Amino acid sequence: MAKRAFLTLIVVLLLFLGILPVLSMLVKSLVVQGNFSLASYGSVLTSGRQWTLMWHSAALSSMVTLLTLVIGTPLGILLAESDMPFRRFFTILFVIPLLLPPYFMAVSWFDLLGRQGLLAQIAGPVATRITSDLLFGLPGCVLVLFSVFLPIPMLLTMVFLGTINPRLQEAGRLVSDWKGILKSITVPLILPGIMLSAMLVFILAFGEFSVPNFLRYDVFPVESFTQFSAFYDFKAATAAAVPLVVVTLLLMFAESVFLRENTYQIRPSQEAVHSPRIELGSHLKWLLSLVTALAFIIVIVPVLVLAVQSAHTEAYIQALDYAGKSLLRSLAYAFIAATLLVSLGFFTGYLVQKKALWCWRFVDSSLLFLFALPSTVIGIGLISLWNTRWTNFVYATPAIIIIGYLAKYTALTSRISVTGLAQVPPSMEEAAQVAGAGWFRRIFYILIPLAGPTLLAGWLVGYIFSLRDTGITMLVYPPGHETLPVRIFTLMANGSPQLVAALCILMIAAILVPGGLLAALATRMKYKVNS
Amino acid sequence: MKKTILAIFAILVLVMAGYTVLHFTKEPSTKVSTVTVYVSEDQVFSEPILKDFEKDTGIKFRAVYDTEEAKSTGAMNRLIAEKDNPQADVYWANEPIRAEVLKQKGISESYFSPNARDIPARFKDPDGYWTGFSARARVLVVNNHVKDVPQSILAYTDPRWKGKSVITNPLFGTTTSHIAALFVLWGDKRAKAFMNAMKQNRTAISTNNGESADFVTAGQYDFSLVDSDDAVNRIRQGKSVKMVYPDQGENDTGCFIVPNATVLIKGGRHPKAARKLIDYLLSRETERKLAFADCAQIPLHPGVEIPSELKPIDKIKTMQINYADVAKKMVEIQPFLKTWMGL
Amino acid sequence: MKIVELDSVSKSYGNERALDKISLGIEQGERIVILGPSGCGKTTIMRLVAGFIPPDSGIVSIAGKIVSRDGKIIVPPRKRGVGMVFQDLALWPHMSVKANIEFGLKAKGFGKPERQKMIRDMLELVGMLEYMDRKPAELSGGQQQRIALARALVLEPKVLLMDEPLSSLDLDLNIRLRKEIIRLHDKLGFTMLYVTHDRDEATDIATRIITMKQGRIDLS
Repeated sequence: MAKRAFLTLIVVLLLFLGILPVLSMLVKSLVVQGNFSLASYGSVLTSGRQWTLMWHSAALSSMVTLLTLVIGTPLGILLAESDMPFRRFFTILFVIPLLLPPYFMAVSWFDLLGRQGLLAQIAGPVATRITSDLLFGLPGCVLVLFSVFLPIPMLLTMVFLGTINPRLQEAGRLVSDWKGILKSITVPLILPGIMLSAMLVFILAFGEFSVPNFLRYDVFPVESFTQFSAFYDFKAATAAAVPLVVVTLLLMFAESVFLRENTYQIRPSQEAVHSPRIELGSHLKWLLSLVTALAFIIVIVPVLVLAVQSAHTEAYIQALDYAGKSLLRSLAYAFIAATLLVSLGFFTGYLVQKKALWCWRFVDSSLLFLFALPSTVIGIGLISLWNTRWTNFVYATPAIIIIGYLAKYTALTSRISVTGLAQVPPSMEEAAQVAGAGWFRRIFYILIPLAGPTLLAGWLVGYIFSLRDTGITMLVYPPGHETLPVRIFTLMANGSPQLVAALCILMIAAILVPGGLLAALATRMKYKVNS
Repeated sequence: MKKTILAIFAILVLVMAGYTVLHFTKEPSTKVSTVTVYVSEDQVFSEPILKDFEKDTGIKFRAVYDTEEAKSTGAMNRLIAEKDNPQADVYWANEPIRAEVLKQKGISESYFSPNARDIPARFKDPDGYWTGFSARARVLVVNNHVKDVPQSILAYTDPRWKGKSVITNPLFGTTTSHIAALFVLWGDKRAKAFMNAMKQNRTAISTNNGESADFVTAGQYDFSLVDSDDAVNRIRQGKSVKMVYPDQGENDTGCFIVPNATVLIKGGRHPKAARKLIDYLLSRETERKLAFADCAQIPLHPGVEIPSELKPIDKIKTMQINYADVAKKMVEIQPFLKTWMGL
Repeated sequence: MKIVELDSVSKSYGNERALDKISLGIEQGERIVILGPSGCGKTTIMRLVAGFIPPDSGIVSIAGKIVSRDGKIIVPPRKRGVGMVFQDLALWPHMSVKANIEFGLKAKGFGKPERQKMIRDMLELVGMLEYMDRKPAELSGGQQQRIALARALVLEPKVLLMDEPLSSLDLDLNIRLRKEIIRLHDKLGFTMLYVTHDRDEATDIATRIITMKQGRIDLS
C-alpha cells in the first residue's frame, strides 16, 4: 500500500513539475481564439524547407550518435577493463567537454580553427582556410558534438561493465581471446547501456541548436528558436518543437521493441572478485597512442585554447570577481538538483522498470518527451504555471530553477535507474519481502545499495547536466541570481575573450573537484557491491 | 568509509540547501528599496551602469541579462510570459523594436522621463512607452587595404565588390531591423530587389556582427555592415580598419540608428524605483559613460562629451524612420528573409 | 607426468594471505577434491590453475609446462586447456544453450559441421539434446548445471576445474549430479580438480581428498 501511495505521489509531483506546464503550452498551441485549430501547425512539415531541416537534423544526429558509439563504447571498455595506464586520468579528461555548454566548445574550436584562429598563426592562412571551411558546416558540427557527447557512451559503458558478473567473462577467457569475449559476451551484455547512450546522444544532438547555429548548419530546432526570438510567438514555437518530440517517441518505441529481447538479469557474484583486466600486451602501444591522440585532439587542444587565451593572472582575478557568487550558486543548485534528480529518477525508474502503476508507460514517455523538448518551451511553460501571486515563493526563488532541471533532466536519471534496476534480480527484493521488510525498507536496504553504482552515475550525470544548463536557467532564474554558465553566456557578447576563457576554465575546475570525489566514491562502491 | 563519504555528502547538500534558503529569507526586499531590471544590452556594458546606479541612489538592483546575439531568447520571452504577474520593473532594451513589441502586447506603461526632454523626438515613442538613449549607428567597417572606400550600403550590390562583402545573418539582431527599415523606406519591391542583387553579388553571411567585423579585420572580406560599437572596438584594438557612416550625401537615405530604450513595465512591484532607474539611464552622465565604454554608443542628448572615434549625433545624417513601422515590417518580411537565406 | 603441479605457491590479497607455500600435484585421470571451509584458499587454487590470477611466488605447471611463475602469467587461460564449472555457473544469459557451448568451439576454430556434431554429442551425453535452443533462464537449476558441464567438457580439457558446482542444488539433485559427474569422468577420462566444503560430496566424488585450512594444506 505504501508503495502505491508513494509512487502515485511521485507521479503527481512529476505532473506539477513538468508535464502540466508543457501540456498547457501544447493545449494553447492548439487553440486559436477559443477554438481548436491546427493553424499554429500549419507550416510545420508542410513546406519543403522543414523537411530539408529535418533531414539535416537527422543526418547530424545520426552521424554524431554513430561516431560516439563506435568510439565511446570501446573507449569505455578500455578505460574500465584494460591494463592501460592512466585510465582514471583519461576518464576525467574525456568528460571535460561535456562539462561546458556545447556552445563554449564550438567557440573554442572556432578560436583554434577559424580564419584568424591560433592555427592560422602557426600553420598559415592556407591551412586555416581548409580547416575553417570544414568547421563551418556538417563536419564541424559533427566534430564539436562528437567531442561533447563522447563521454555519454563512454561513461555508461563503464557503469554497465561494472554490473556484469566477472565470472561471465572469465568463463569466456578459458576458451577465447579478448576479441571474442568482447564481441560475443561483453558487448551483448551491456547492450541496454549502449542503447540508452545511443538514444540520449541522439536526442541531445537532435535538439542541439547553439552549435549548428554558430557553425552555420541549419537544423530543425532553428524554427522553434526563431519563433521565440524573433516573433515571441509561443504557439508557433511550441508547434515547431513538436516534431522533435515525435522523433523522440519513435526512437523510444524502437528501443523498447529492441530491449524486450535483450535485457538480462545479471547476478552479482558472491565473492570478492575483481573483473578481469584485459591484458593489452603488444596492443598496448598503439591503443595508448590512439587514446592519447584522441584525448589530445578533442579535449586537450580546445581546453588549451581556453587556457592560452586566459593566460593572464588578471584574467583570473577578474574572472573570480565576475563569477562571484554565481559560481557558488551554480554548485549549490547543481548539488541539490542532482540529489533530487537521482531520487526522483530512482522512483520513476522503479515505477517504469517494475511496471508498478498502470501509468508507467505514460511516465516514461513524458519524461523523455520533456527531455527532448527545447528548454525554452519548458521554461515558458514553467513561467505560465508558476508565476502567480500565490506561488511567488517558488517562482521568485531558486526553487524554480531546480524545478526546471527536474522537469528537463529526470529522464536521464530515470532511464539510468531503469537499466540499473533491470539488472537486479527480482528475487533480491522478494527475499527481503519474505523476510518481512516493508517496501521502503526493501528500497533503502536492498535495491538502492544493489543499484548503487548506477545511481551514482545518475547523480553525476544529473550534476553535470544541471551545472551546464543555460536553456532553462536563462528563462527562469530569479533576477540577480544567475548561474555561472548563464553569466559566461551573457558575458560572451562583447566580453573580453580572456575573461570568458578564464571563466570557462574556472567552471571546468569547479565541476572536476566534486566530480573527482564522486568518481572515487563510485569505484569504492562498485567494489563493495561486487564483493 | 562509505558511510563517512555519504555523511559528508549529506552534510554538503544540507549546507547548500541551507545557504540558499537563508540567502533568500534574509533578502531585505521590503526594507531597502530595490528594482528589478531585465536587460538586453550586453552585460559587460550594462552591469557597470547598474552598479553605479546602486551606488549613487542606494537602490538595490536585481537583473536578468540577455544576449543579443542568436543564442538566447531570455529577457523578452520572460517579459511576455510573465505578463500576468510581472517580476520586472524596467526593461533595458538594446533596440527600440523590442520595446515596440512590448507596447503592442500591452506589457509596458507610459512614462515621460524629465531627463529625456533633450532627446530628439524621433528616438522616442510619442506615447511614452519607450525612450531611446545611447545609440549604435549601423556603419560600414572597411579594411584599410581597400582603396576606393564604399560610402553606401548600395556597395553590396556593386559588381566591384562581387564576393568581397559580408553581412550578418538577417534573421537575427540589428541586421533584421536594418533590413526591415529599408523595406519601410524603399517599399517592398525595391528592397527585395536590393536583397536579391546583394545575393547575386555573392555577399557572404556571418553569424553575428562581431564575426562580420572580424572577417573584415582579417582581410577576408573588404567591408561589412555592422553596429558602430563593433567597428570602434576593432579600431581601438589597433586593427587596420576604418568606420564609414554610410549614405551621408544630400539625397541619401542616411545612417540607420539603433538606440537603446528604456521601458517601464506595467504592474511592476517597485514603480517608484523603476522611474528612478529610467531617469538614471536617460541621464547625460550615463550616455557619456556608454560613449567612453567599449560599446562606444552615441549619446542622443546634444552636447555630451564623446571619444574621438565617434561623431556627435547631430553631425550624422540619420535615417528618418518610424520604429513602430519597422517593428511591424520585421514580422512581415520574415518569410522573405528565410527564403532569401535559402532556408 | 603430473597434469597439474603447484610448486611452493603463495598468494595474498592485500594483507590477507590466501595461500601459503602450497605444493600439490595431480595425476592424469585423478579426481581430486579440495575440502575446506570458505575462505581457506581453495577457490584461489582454482583461479591460479585457470590462469585468472598469477601466484605471488612459486610455479604453476600444466602437463609439464610452466604456465605461471612468480607474479607472472606465462600461458593465458585460453591456451591452458582448462575447463571450468563456476559456482554460479556463469552461463551467458544472452546465448542459447547451443551458443553457450559453441562459443569455445568457434574460438578454437572448429568448422561448422564439426561444431554441430560436437555439440550434439556433448548434449546427448549430458541428456540435454532437446534443450539446445533454450536460453539459460528457461532451464531448471539441474539443467543449467548440465549445460555448464557440457560447455566445460566440449573442448576436451586436460583438466576440469569445478568450483562448488553443486552447492546451490537440493540434496536429491546434488547426489544425482555427483553420480552423473563420475559417470562422465569414467567415460571421458579427464582429470578433475573439484572444490567443495561438503564432506559428503567430497567423499562421494574424490579419488583423493585434500583438506585445506587457512591457506595451507592440512591433510592429504
